Amino acid sequence: MNAVETDVLIIGAGPAGLAAAFETASRGLQVTLVDESKSMGGQLVQQTQVLSSLPSIYQPMCGFELAAHLSRQLEDFEIRYLLGHRVIGFYKDGSVGITDEKNVFPLRAKKTIVATGASENAIAFPKWTLPGVMTIGAAQTLMNRNFVQPGKNAVIVGSSDFAMDVALQLSKVGVRIRGIVEKNTGVKANGTEKVEQVRKIGIPILLNSSIKEARGIGAVSEVDIQQGEDIWTEKVDLVCVDGGRSPILDIFYQLGCSFGHQEELGGWVPQYNNDFQTDCENVFLAGNAAGISTQGALLVTGMLAGINVCAALGAISKEAVEEGKQSLWKELESIETRSNLKVWQARNQHIEKFAHPVLKDQFIS
Amino acid sequence: METSYETIIIGGGVVGSSIAYHLSERNKEGIVVLDKKFPLSGTSGSTQAWVWVHNKTPSWYAEFSMYSAELYPYLSKKIGDVEYKRTGGLSPFFSELDREKAERLAEAYEPIGIKIKVLSREEALEKEPSLNPDIVGATYSSIDGNVNPFRLVDRYMRAAKKNGVQYSTYNKVTEIQKLPGKFIVRAEKGRFECKNLVLAGGTWSRELGKLVEVTIPINQLRGQILVTEPLKPFLNYTISGLRQAFNGEVLIGYSMEEEGFNRATTLDVIQETANMAIHYVPSLRKAKVVRAFSGIRAMPEDGFPILGKIPGVENLYVAAMHSGVTLSPLVGTLMTELILDGETSIPIDRYSISRFA
Repeated sequence: MNAVETDVLIIGAGPAGLAAAFETASRGLQVTLVDESKSMGGQLVQQTQVLSSLPSIYQPMCGFELAAHLSRQLEDFEIRYLLGHRVIGFYKDGSVGITDEKNVFPLRAKKTIVATGASENAIAFPKWTLPGVMTIGAAQTLMNRNFVQPGKNAVIVGSSDFAMDVALQLSKVGVRIRGIVEKNTGVKANGTEKVEQVRKIGIPILLNSSIKEARGIGAVSEVDIQQGEDIWTEKVDLVCVDGGRSPILDIFYQLGCSFGHQEELGGWVPQYNNDFQTDCENVFLAGNAAGISTQGALLVTGMLAGINVCAALGAISKEAVEEGKQSLWKELESIETRSNLKVWQARNQHIEKFAHPVLKDQFIS
Repeated sequence: METSYETIIIGGGVVGSSIAYHLSERNKEGIVVLDKKFPLSGTSGSTQAWVWVHNKTPSWYAEFSMYSAELYPYLSKKIGDVEYKRTGGLSPFFSELDREKAERLAEAYEPIGIKIKVLSREEALEKEPSLNPDIVGATYSSIDGNVNPFRLVDRYMRAAKKNGVQYSTYNKVTEIQKLPGKFIVRAEKGRFECKNLVLAGGTWSRELGKLVEVTIPINQLRGQILVTEPLKPFLNYTISGLRQAFNGEVLIGYSMEEEGFNRATTLDVIQETANMAIHYVPSLRKAKVVRAFSGIRAMPEDGFPILGKIPGVENLYVAAMHSGVTLSPLVGTLMTELILDGETSIPIDRYSISRFA
């Protein structure tokens, strides 16, 4: 089968992928955008909270508004959209295999930007596989994307900013939150305002505590919460676990990229340089795949990857690249030092190690 | 950790671990296994794990494989359940020409006691209704089957450790020195001494051989394997190229590529493999493939095991082969006899490395 040709293949149509698509398509490059979902915007679509720390050119807005904005700004360009498609592997000659879930066809790209995002990590406890136990993001998707109330009485495990957002949203749709369980001595969320709001509507935040066990026949019906010596039972039909997120790496494995480990960026992260280029020359990356960060930072990394791909393909002048890179890096620094300094530091450390990856391949050799 | 041992085995895969276990049954003290990574991180952990006799040629190699397959039930009794299933093996064929070949194979096997039946189309379909109705027939052997390779190596290791064997993992051997009456083995985590040294490095045998200035002519062959979603049990036999595991997943693999140690998977081979599977078992068309992985197999230059003493170097042994899963019970037994008694109950001269000289 003859491969379809494209200048730029962007894998993932979330915020980073869409930002990268704008940078590349607006400079005349032929762009192909693949996403397994039928809609664009990735996880933005169900974010009904106002996103803080967006780049300076943006007004504060909600996630779904941002998704619409990012999609709209692509309307003027001829982009090949492969929505409802997945990348499932690579051919020996380097072309990528894309499926519409029925057939597989090859596509050959000059440059690839991998913006596959992140997946949520679970927190395990006895009987954590009972229906009704789900990640916090899954609960949000059910509520905001599918308009299904995920339960009536809930416990949330984990106290990140995102957990606070979803706790507020769940309360709003009538889910009674029996408690936010945090194993550490302090709340993880940085946004003190949100934590205050959560407290104000009467959601107990339980520090030094954990779920000891869940019980239920066919679905979760109660959990034992342990705080120090105390153990008590809560009747719940929903347990939302917030184990943080990690970059989705499958594509990078397939491509033979190297990896480094940065706890603050979500664990294993593909190795990349200042240009968001991996050690595979034609492969760039952006968004949460390059380290878990805030929405604003994800956009900037997408723009950076996009600009650098334009430079690699000669679609932008040298001066414009340098200028663009400089201002975007400043923007990224400003966003990340404001929202989470540790992420910024980890990102810089990670880039410094570009030439010395911990893992040369997925097989630890 | 003590550094002086009676026997050092380099390589903790299915072959090295079997030797360690069988040796420890008789000789409880002073055995250490050195592995550059961890057992099951290489070939032994990326195999379909057939215990396969049928269509191994020539007949003496099939006979050798049969003896090993026959040891499996006994082995499970000693080291615990390794999910060994003697399902019987079916090799369907699609032309009359292949039937003649099959009949010649069956004739050649008869004198050594391996019973291979050449089935008609109807007989084959009766045994395995999911086969493609376009087959012309199939060869069938009742001794073939498969095993869970993870359990197998794990059980070998546990049993060996129980008998006092030590494992030193993530400890790559970098240098081997032969002194009178002993070897000095330098590895990343230290220096070891031993009387007997066994090279069981599988795909890495050639590199290991270089450390003792012996050419061990083993090459690498990549095999890509597809795994389907768990399906209700529908395959009764181990069929050439595919088998259904205990948990319902069907494992499929036909490919052999010379790609060195590159463990990537490629869509070219994945698609070819899927098409082959559908050719044999058409209903697999509906199955979802959930995973693909590659394994690097060891392949001796002439295809046959390299087994026994290394001539010219006292107390140096080699055990390197393709089909390590099938052969491991027998190889473990025979190498133990060779090391402790100086001779084996089944002749292994044919497999000596000296044949390459």
